Amino acid sequence: MDSARADALAARSHLATQGWISRQCESFRHLPPPVAEVWLGDEAGPQGRGCEAHPLAGAGWTLHPVGSTPQGRVDARWLDAGDAVQRAELLVDLPAPGQGDAAPFAWAHRALCRHGLRLRIGGAPGAQRIPGETVWLQLRHQPRTAVEAPLLVIDVQAGVQCVLVETHEREPLHCQRGIVQNLQVHLRLGVGATLTHLRLAMPGAGDRLAHHVHARLGRGARYDQALIAAGSGYHLQRNVIALEAERSAARTASVLFAAGSALEQQLQVAHAAARTTSAVEALVLASGAARAVVNAHSRIAPGAEDAAVRQRLSGIPTGGQPRLVLRPHLEIHHDRVQAAHGATWGALPEDALFLARQRGLDERTARGLIVEGMATAVLQRCLDGPGLLQPLAVDALLARAVAGHLAAAQETGHE
Amino acid sequence: MPDWKEPIVNDEQTLLQVNDLRVDVGERNVLKSISLDVAAGALVVLMGANGSGKSTLGLTLAGHPRYRVVGGRARFAGQDLLALAPEARARAGLFVSLQAPPEIPGVKNNLFIRTALNAVREARGEAPLDAFDFLGSAREAAARLGLPESLLGRPVNDGFSGGERKRNELLQLALLQPRLALLDEIDSGLDVDGGRAVVQLVQDLRAKGTAFIVVSHYLHLIESLAPDAVLRLDQGCIAERGDAGLARELARTGFAAATEAVEG
Repeated sequence: MDSARADALAARSHLATQGWISRQCESFRHLPPPVAEVWLGDEAGPQGRGCEAHPLAGAGWTLHPVGSTPQGRVDARWLDAGDAVQRAELLVDLPAPGQGDAAPFAWAHRALCRHGLRLRIGGAPGAQRIPGETVWLQLRHQPRTAVEAPLLVIDVQAGVQCVLVETHEREPLHCQRGIVQNLQVHLRLGVGATLTHLRLAMPGAGDRLAHHVHARLGRGARYDQALIAAGSGYHLQRNVIALEAERSAARTASVLFAAGSALEQQLQVAHAAARTTSAVEALVLASGAARAVVNAHSRIAPGAEDAAVRQRLSGIPTGGQPRLVLRPHLEIHHDRVQAAHGATWGALPEDALFLARQRGLDERTARGLIVEGMATAVLQRCLDGPGLLQPLAVDALLARAVAGHLAAAQETGHE
Repeated sequence: MPDWKEPIVNDEQTLLQVNDLRVDVGERNVLKSISLDVAAGALVVLMGANGSGKSTLGLTLAGHPRYRVVGGRARFAGQDLLALAPEARARAGLFVSLQAPPEIPGVKNNLFIRTALNAVREARGEAPLDAFDFLGSAREAAARLGLPESLLGRPVNDGFSGGERKRNELLQLALLQPRLALLDEIDSGLDVDGGRAVVQLVQDLRAKGTAFIVVSHYLHLIESLAPDAVLRLDQGCIAERGDAGLARELARTGFAAATEAVEG
């Protein structure tokens, strides 16, 4: 047996020994994930068979330069985790799955991972680098198989600025069934690097997804993530951000749509160094019998002098009787810090809705415009204004997502 | 208490007819009995002490869900106004400027106004305006009203000063060109130039046939508008009816004295 297969089997064995996530587990108790067999491809039934994408179908990761990013700035390696040498290269330097609440997902990933992509951004030799230049990239992912565990590793080198658009598209032509996807993303930002990361995850209704993003930031590095995601059979978006070096900063902004579906976002930020800052914001729209959860947990470690934390979670029921759980948590172990957090749950602003209708907009259009505006405002706060949203056509995408959500909400309301 | 049911302008083209309108807000009966007629192109000024029901009348006619009609009728351009949804009232040509226009975060002002304008144009059987044509008209109107052009690209009323919000209401009025506009203290928060812009816009629109109900406490503006009638509201009823002379009298004596005189 080769070492790649042995490693995968060892992970499977470890998972069998340790067990899956308990239904009482604090991090997952509001929306327990499907059992281990689902993520390992062992689920009974036709799932997983006959859904393999054709190699030339554009499945897996595809990388698209945006604008005029010069050649040589991005080093991309597509690696086969079934090959011992390539697997070693793929997993090198990555942390072991560990023992945390979400560790079973990581072990399941190790057991099933077949392919991965490693990106090194800013790869040009130092002398050829242009200070202040921004690398623009688009990364698309389409499922290769009905059950998969893709991997993405990105190193943004010191001083490099990068804008990355990561889209998860669902092309149902080759497979009409729901897919299962356990994605692990590891981001490492060097000293003074910045990564602006726009993520789109709009799965099919029956899909079961778990996306785990782990980010580690060097001194003075900045990570901004804007996420647009829709619910499905089960959909977890989990960010674990480690601010390990002084003056590192992270912001996340999420717009989440759950129309009769399940969607959870977990946001964990660890402030381990002085003068680190983080801001977490989420807007959840939920309708029908949706179950939507946002769990934010920010920890300020002893000695993290002048750290600043902000959490702002908002939920708006748009029809039916959704179950919406917003949980802002702060854990502070140092005196001299700034921290603010809050959660609001309520209807659309009545006065704004009336103003729009008084000007002639029908209620559906008015609601759509207001919701879209709220979502845009959330993303703009993370991305410092509209500058990035327009060239990346995020406004059009958001408009479609809002319209789709409200249409689904209305259908639910009529049932 | 007297109530006034004569038409404001003796004109066969009555645009708005309100009969014995009674309105509750929460548990409180705010409008006890309001009757008035407004003809096309007429200008009526509503005056009255705080809490007399001026804003309630406007928001009720506009269809605000917090204002519950418990009696009476209102017809607008031949339709049962109270049976219409707020947007249908707007599309029929009723515009109500709000005393405190709310902000709509993230929604660009020009997109908002263009969407509204096209909804109204569609109801009138007119072709929608594309972004280019709309922006030309909006810039021109904004310049006339003293509204900085940059505010067209900002979210609706987000970070606007009080005066900018009122000018933004005027911009919407100028572009929508309704059949009847109810302006609720449109002059409050406006500077001298803003006041002039109100008068000019009202005159321009009246020349095109728009009728106005103007709520104001300021005699200078009222006189500049040359109203056809001035009504004084008191405790949810129309207590007095007159011309600009009534406005001058109220400005001199105050609302309390006027109430005592009527009751005495």
